[in-house]
Amino acid sequence: MNPNTGSVRLDRRLRTITNRPVRLSGGGWSLLAAMMTDPQDDLSPARSEQNSPSLSVCSSPSQSLPSTPSSCCPPRPASPPLGVINEGGGELSLVIDPEVAQRACHEVLQKVKLRQVDASAGPAPGSQHNGPSPDRGVPAIKPPQIREEDDPEGPAPSSVKSARRHQRHNPSKQSWLLRLFESKLFDVSMAISYLHSSKEPGVQAYIGNRLFSFPHDDVDFYLPQLLNMYIHMDEDVGDAIKPYLVHRCRQSISFSLQCAWLLGAYSSDMHISTQRHSRGSKLRKLILSDELKPSGPRARRELTLTPFCLAAAPGGPAADHGLSPSKRTHQRSKSDATVSISLSSNLKRTASNPKVESSQDEPVRLAPQREFMKSLMGIGKRLATLPTKEQKTQRLISELSLLNHKLPARVWLPTAAFDHHVVRVPHTQAVVLNSKDKAPYLIYVEVLECENFETSSVPMRIPENRIRSTRSVENLPDCGMMAEQRAGSFSVVPNYDNDDEAWSVDDIGELQVELPEGHTNSCDNISQFSVDSITSLDSKEPVFIAAGDIRRRLSEQLAQAPTTFRRDPEDPSAVALKEPWEEKVRRIREGSPYGHFPTWRLLSVIVKCGDDLRQELLAFQVLQQLKSIWEQERVPLWIRPYKIVVLSADSGMIEPVVNAVSIHQVKKQSQLSLLDYFLQEHGTPTTENFLSAQRNFVRSCAGYSLICYLLQVKDRHNGNILLDADGHIIHIDFGFILSSSPRNLGFETSAFKLTAEFVEVMGGPDGDMFNYYRMLMLQGLIAARKHMDRVLQIVEIMQQGSQLPCFHGSSTMRGLKERFHMSLTEEQLQLLVDQLVDGSMRSLTTKLYDGFQYLTNGIM
Amino acid sequence: MSQVEKKAGLLRRTSSSKKPLKEKVVLMYDEIFAKEDPAKNNPRFWDELFLMKVNLEYLESKLESVNGEEVQRIQDNINSLFHHCVQALGEEHQIKVVNALQTLCALFRGVHQKNKSASGFDIINMLMGFDKAERRMKDLMERLDSLLCGDSSESLKSLCLKLLLCLVTVTDNISQNTILEYVMINSIFEAILQILSDPSSRGQHGYDAVVLLALLVNYRKYESVNPYIVKLSIVDDEPTLDGMGVVLHQALTEYNRQYKDKEEENQGGFFSTLTSMVGSMFIADVDEKLSVQTNEAILLALYEAVHLNRNFITVLAQSHPEIDIPVTPSTPTPTTPTTPLGTTPPSLDVMNNPELPLDPNLQTSNLLITFLKYASIVMQDTKDEHRLNSARLCLIILTCIAEDQYADAFLHDDNINFRVSLHRMPMRHRKKAAGKNIPSRPLVCAVLDLMVEFIVTHMMKDFPMDLYLRCVQIIHKLLCYQKKCRIRLHYTWRELWSALINLLKFLLSNETTLLAKHNIFHLALLVVNLFNMFITYGDTFLPTSNSYDELYYEIVRMHQVFDNLYCMVLRVSTNTGQWKEAASKVTHALVNIRAIINHFNPKIESYAAVNHISQLSEEQVLEVVRSNYDTLTLKLQDGLDQFERYSEQPKEAAFFKELVGDPMRSSLSLLIQPRYPSRFSFPRPSCHSLISPSVFLTIHSSAVPSVHPLSFHHRSIRPQPVSLLFLLRL
Repeated sequence: MNPNTGSVRLDRRLRTITNRPVRLSGGGWSLLAAMMTDPQDDLSPARSEQNSPSLSVCSSPSQSLPSTPSSCCPPRPASPPLGVINEGGGELSLVIDPEVAQRACHEVLQKVKLRQVDASAGPAPGSQHNGPSPDRGVPAIKPPQIREEDDPEGPAPSSVKSARRHQRHNPSKQSWLLRLFESKLFDVSMAISYLHSSKEPGVQAYIGNRLFSFPHDDVDFYLPQLLNMYIHMDEDVGDAIKPYLVHRCRQSISFSLQCAWLLGAYSSDMHISTQRHSRGSKLRKLILSDELKPSGPRARRELTLTPFCLAAAPGGPAADHGLSPSKRTHQRSKSDATVSISLSSNLKRTASNPKVESSQDEPVRLAPQREFMKSLMGIGKRLATLPTKEQKTQRLISELSLLNHKLPARVWLPTAAFDHHVVRVPHTQAVVLNSKDKAPYLIYVEVLECENFETSSVPMRIPENRIRSTRSVENLPDCGMMAEQRAGSFSVVPNYDNDDEAWSVDDIGELQVELPEGHTNSCDNISQFSVDSITSLDSKEPVFIAAGDIRRRLSEQLAQAPTTFRRDPEDPSAVALKEPWEEKVRRIREGSPYGHFPTWRLLSVIVKCGDDLRQELLAFQVLQQLKSIWEQERVPLWIRPYKIVVLSADSGMIEPVVNAVSIHQVKKQSQLSLLDYFLQEHGTPTTENFLSAQRNFVRSCAGYSLICYLLQVKDRHNGNILLDADGHIIHIDFGFILSSSPRNLGFETSAFKLTAEFVEVMGGPDGDMFNYYRMLMLQGLIAARKHMDRVLQIVEIMQQGSQLPCFHGSSTMRGLKERFHMSLTEEQLQLLVDQLVDGSMRSLTTKLYDGFQYLTNGIM
Repeated sequence: MSQVEKKAGLLRRTSSSKKPLKEKVVLMYDEIFAKEDPAKNNPRFWDELFLMKVNLEYLESKLESVNGEEVQRIQDNINSLFHHCVQALGEEHQIKVVNALQTLCALFRGVHQKNKSASGFDIINMLMGFDKAERRMKDLMERLDSLLCGDSSESLKSLCLKLLLCLVTVTDNISQNTILEYVMINSIFEAILQILSDPSSRGQHGYDAVVLLALLVNYRKYESVNPYIVKLSIVDDEPTLDGMGVVLHQALTEYNRQYKDKEEENQGGFFSTLTSMVGSMFIADVDEKLSVQTNEAILLALYEAVHLNRNFITVLAQSHPEIDIPVTPSTPTPTTPTTPLGTTPPSLDVMNNPELPLDPNLQTSNLLITFLKYASIVMQDTKDEHRLNSARLCLIILTCIAEDQYADAFLHDDNINFRVSLHRMPMRHRKKAAGKNIPSRPLVCAVLDLMVEFIVTHMMKDFPMDLYLRCVQIIHKLLCYQKKCRIRLHYTWRELWSALINLLKFLLSNETTLLAKHNIFHLALLVVNLFNMFITYGDTFLPTSNSYDELYYEIVRMHQVFDNLYCMVLRVSTNTGQWKEAASKVTHALVNIRAIINHFNPKIESYAAVNHISQLSEEQVLEVVRSNYDTLTLKLQDGLDQFERYSEQPKEAAFFKELVGDPMRSSLSLLIQPRYPSRFSFPRPSCHSLISPSVFLTIHSSAVPSVHPLSFHHRSIRPQPVSLLFLLRL
C-alpha cells in the first residue's frame, strides 16, 4: 500500500471527526438532552450494542469512509504525520462513525448536564477546550476555531434556539425514534424522509451525522433532495446537512461540482434578497472558491512531512503550471497531479499580496472540468443562433474539432459511472438533435478509464493522424515522442532521398492491415484474386471472371448491409442513432489514435443548453426509484431511466439511450407500421427474435404506461418515444409532468399513450401478450403502491421552494398520492387498470395529439 | 526591367522635376561612398547614421552606380556599414533598428542589382568580406531571430520578415543566392513557427512567414540537404500547423472572394450578361476572365506543407468559418491595423476566445474546400503560363492528398458533408451553374466534380496533356481507396463516365495533331483502365446494383468510341513506330470493354428485332443488360488497383525549379518584396496594386492601416507617391 495514500486517508478521517463533534456541540444538542432525560440504562444497552458491531463495521465494505479494510487500522508508526496530529486521538476509534457520534453524544450530554445546572444560555467554547485528550477512544471535541472554517455563522445562536425548543418536546417518542435510527432497517431513504419531516433539531442533527455512515452512492442519489432541503428549509436542517456536504466536497471534485451545479440550479428560483438564498449560494461560492480542498491547511504540513507527496508531484514545473495565471484551463499541463495543484495554490494563499488571492476566482482544482462544461454549453448557445440543421451540424463539428485541441485533460463526463479522463471527442460523429428552437446536440466522447480521475495521470496527447504510424501496441511509446526524437529516428531510415523520406510509409499499402476483420473476410472473391495476381505476374495464365458474378456480389453485399437509415440533412441524428452501438464503438475505436489503449471506452452525452433539466432530474429519480421498487418486488416491468446532470437552471447533460431511435424516426425512415417494422427488424412472428422483442415491448410498455399515469407525463408524441434494438420502448422528455401540460390545449386527456399500433405489436387487444400487459400493469401498480412513500418523498422534497411548472398549483402532491389509490382493494385496482387501458386505447385525443404534432412539427 | 526605365520611374515618382534638397543622410551616404573611413573624422558617425531616416532609393542607386574599381575602393566602408547595421539591430532604440533593417534591405538589393552577373561570392565579399561573412551573417540571423521571437513591436517584426523576404528573392533564382547558405546554417525556422503558432502574430505576419518558409524550403532542394525541408517535415505541433493552415486558408479565401467580386462586377447589368453570354465564347480573353493574379507563392507553401509534413493533412480538414464577407468593389476595405488579414483570424484557442464569429451567413469551411474552389478558378483558364503552373501545382497537391490515407478518410467521411460550389466556366452548351442547390455531400464528391469539370472543359488544340494525366490519376487513386475500403460513394458516376468517353473521343478525332506533341496512348490507357476498375471491381465500391448496369449501358451506348479507339490503337500497334508498344498496351486494356460491347450489342439488336422496336428506351436496354450478364466472361487484368506513388524527384524537379526560378519569381516578388514606391514601374496596372508601400507605412505610423498584400486589388485610389515618400522619411 502506498504510504502516501494512507496518510491522506488518515487525514480525511481526522477531518471527519473534526466536523462531527462540532455539529454535536451545536444542533445535536436537543437530542442529547432528550437522551439525558431518559433513564441511564436506556442509553447504555444501545451503547454496548453499538460497541461490538462497530468494530466490524469498521472493516465492512459499506463503510462510508474511503478506507479499504487494510487501511482501516494502519500501523501507527508507518504514517509519520500521525505523530504531529495525534491531538485528534487514536485513529482506530475515530473511523467508526456511529460510535463516534455516540460517544460524542455522551460527552456533550455530560456537559449539557453541567450547564443546565448553571442555567447558562450557550455552551462556552472554553470549556470544550478541556475535552481533547490524547487518549485513544476519546473523541476529540475540536476547538471551535476549526469550525469557523466550515460554518462562519457560528454555533451559538442556533444552539440556544434549539435548546429552548427542545424543552417543549416529548422525550419518550424520541427514544423509539433513536432505536429505529440505530436499527439495520434505517436506510438513506428513511433518513432523508425524517430529515425532511422531523421538526426536531436533534433528530435532524443525528441524521446529519448518520449520513456519514451510508454508502456514498446511496446518498448521492438523494443529493438533489439534500441540497434542496439545504437551500429551502430552515437553518437546523441546513446545519445538520452541511458537515456531510463539506466533508464529501473535500473528498471529491466531482461531488463538489455536482453540489455547486445543483445548488446554483435550485437556488435560481428564489428572490435574490432572501436570506436563505444566500445560504445556498454561500455554500456554492465556498465550493467554487475551492476552499474545500482535499486537505485544507494540513496539506502543507503533509507536504513538508512526507517525501512521497513531493515525489509524486514533480515539484517545480508542475507548480509553475499551476501558478501560471491563465484562463485557458482544462489544458493538460494544468491538470497534473492534484497534489501539485494544491501545493501551488497553497503557495498562492500564503502570498502576502491580497490582490493576487482575490483575483484568483477560478480555482485550479475544479477549473478544468468547469471550463470543459462551459465550452460545451458555449457551443450549444452558438449553435442555437444558426438557422438550418446543416449549418448547425457543420458548426458543431468544427467547434468540437477545436475543443479536441485541449484534450486529453483532467475532465470527465458526469453521466458516466466510472472514473475516466476524456481524451478525445470524435467530432465528425457528433449530431445535432431535433429541436425547434434550441440546439441540443449529441456527442460521443472517447475516454480512458482510470483508477481515480483526481490522482491518475492524464494521458498524453496523440495527434489525430498518428494512428497511421502506430498500428501495433509495441509502437506505443513512440506516440508521445518529441519532434527531436523523431528527427533522430528519421535518419535511421536508409536509402531514401529527401522526398521519399517524407512519405516513407506507404499509406494505401497499409490499408489492408487496418481493414476491419469482417471486411477482409468478405473479400474472398475478386479483390483477393487481384492481390494474388499481382504477386504472380509472371504466370501468363489469364484469370476469367463472370460478369454476372460481379453483379451478383454487388447486389448481395448491398443487401447484406444492415438496415441503415437514409441520411437526411433535416434529421441528422437519425442515422447516427440507428447505427448499432457496438458497431459505432468499433468504428470510432479504429479511427481513434487512442483506440489501442485497453482502457479505452466510448461514451455519449446529450448536451442541452437553454433547457431546464431539473424536472428531468426529478423524473429520473422517480423512475429510478420505481425501477428499484419493481426489481425488489420482482415485477418484470422494464424501464430505462437515463441519467441527468443539471448544470444550472437552464443547462445540463443527458445520458443518451444507446441503440434507440424515436418512433417518429422509425416511421419516417421505414414508412412502415410499427408492427411491420418489428417484423422487418426481428423476423416473422414465430421466431425467437420476434417473440423476445415483443416481450420486451410489452414489459416496457407496461412500465412506461404506469409511469405516464403516475407522473402524468404529457407531450407524448412519437418523437418522444424511443424504440431500442431489442424492442423496448423508452419514453424521453419529461418536460411536462405532474401539474404541467403543454399549452393546455386539452389534448392528451388519456391516462397514457396506447395507440392501436402499440396494441398491434402486442398481438391485438385479445392476444395473450396484451393480457400479459394488463397483468404487468396491475402488478406494477401494486408494487409501487406498497412503496409509495419512497416515491412521494422524492417529489415532495423537491417541491420545496420550487417554481417548476410541474409543481404548479396546490394539488400536485395530493394528486400524485391519489394516483396510487391506497384505498382500493386489489380487485378494485384491477378494475382501475382495465379502465385505464381501455380508456387510453379508445382515446381519441391521443390520435388527435399525434395529428396535431404531425401538422405543427412534422412528427409522424 | 532596364536601367533606363527605372531611372524614368524614379523621376516620375518623385514627380517634381526639381532635385530634392540634399538631406543630411544623403551626405552621410556620400561619405560612405567616399574612400575614407567615415568614422575617422566623426567618431559618432554610425550612431548618427542610424538615427537618420533612411533614403533608400538614394542609397540603392548609389550602390548600383558604383563601378568595378570603385567597389574595390569602398568595400571596406560597405563592410563597415553592413557590420554597423547588424550591430544596430541590437540597439534598444527602435528607430535605429528600423533604419538598420531598411539599410540592410537596400544593401542587399543594391549590391545584387549592381552585380547581376557576379558570383555570389563576390557579393558576399562586397557586403561583408569573406573572412567575416560567417560571423556577420550569424549575428544578423541571431538578431533577426530574437527580434522575431521577442516582444518587439509588430511593425518591427514585419520589417524583419520583409528583410528576409528581400534577401530570399533578391536573385532571379533562389538557388543562386549564395547568401542563403548562411540562412541555412543559422536557421530561423523556429522563429517562423513561433509566428505561425501565435494567433495574433499569425494574423499580422502569417502571410509573410508562410511565403518565406516556402521559399526557403525550395533553396537548393535537390542539390543539398536543406534543413528547412527536414524541419518542416517533422513539425507536429498542432497549433503551429493549424496556424499555417489558417494563413493559407485566408490567403486562398481572399483570392476566391476577389474573383467572385470581379465576376459579379462583370456580370453587372442585363446587357453585360447578354453580351458576355454571346461574346465570351469568342472573345474569352484574359482580361475578361481572370485578371486576378494567381498566387503561386501561397500555393507553393500549401504544396510544401502537404507534401512534406504528414501531420499537416489533418489541418486540411480543420474547419474554419468561411471568411466570405461580401465587399462592395467600390469601397476598398483597408482593415484596421489589428486585423490585417481582413478579419480576426479564427482563433484556434477555444478557451481564449470562445466566440467564433457568430454570423448565420458564415458558412463553415475548411482549407480543403477553399483550396478546391481556388483550384476550380485557376483551372478555368490555363492559357497563360502562370495559370498553367498554378493549375499544375493544384493538381499536384490534389495528387498528394488523394494518396494520403488520412486525407482519403475524411474526404470520404459520410459525416463531413459540405456544399462546395465550384466555379464553372461558362460554356456554349450549358448554363452557368446556379450554385445554390448543390447538395451537401462528402468532400470527395467535390474533388471528383472538379476533375470531371476539368476533363470536360479542356479539350482544346493546345492540349494540356500533363494536367489531364494528373487529373485521371487523381481519380484513379480515389477509386483505389474506395475499392480497398469498400466505400460506396453515392456519386453520379455517369457524369464521370461520359466525361471520360468524351475525352477518348477527343483524342481520337485529334489524333494527328496531338500525336505530334504527346503520347496520347498513355492517357488513353489510363482512361480505359478507369473503366476497367469499374467493370472488374464495381462490386466493391458502386453504390447501387443499378449503377453497374448503367456502366454497361453507357459503354454499350458509346460503343463507337471504343470501337474507333480499338481500330486506332490496333493500327498503330501493328505498324512499327514510336508508339507501337504504347498502343498495344491500350489494345490489351480494351479487352473487357470489347467483350461487353460484342456481347450485348447483338443481344440488344435482337431484342429490338424481336419486339419490333426501332429505338430502345434506356430502361429496355438496361433490362437486356441485366438479363444477359451470366453469359459474359471477363478477363481479370493485372494491377488495375495499383498506382505509382507521387514523388517529386526526379519527375517534378524540373517543374519546381522552374517555378521558383525565373517565371515565378516575378510573380512572387511582386507580391512579397518590400519595395518602396519610386522603384515601381510595371506595365500592368494590376501589378501596381500588388505591391504596397503600406508595409513600410506601418512602421512609422500605426495610424496608417496596414493592409494585407492580397487585399490590394481593391484599392481604387493609389496612394500618391509623394506622400508616400514623405511617410517613408518620417
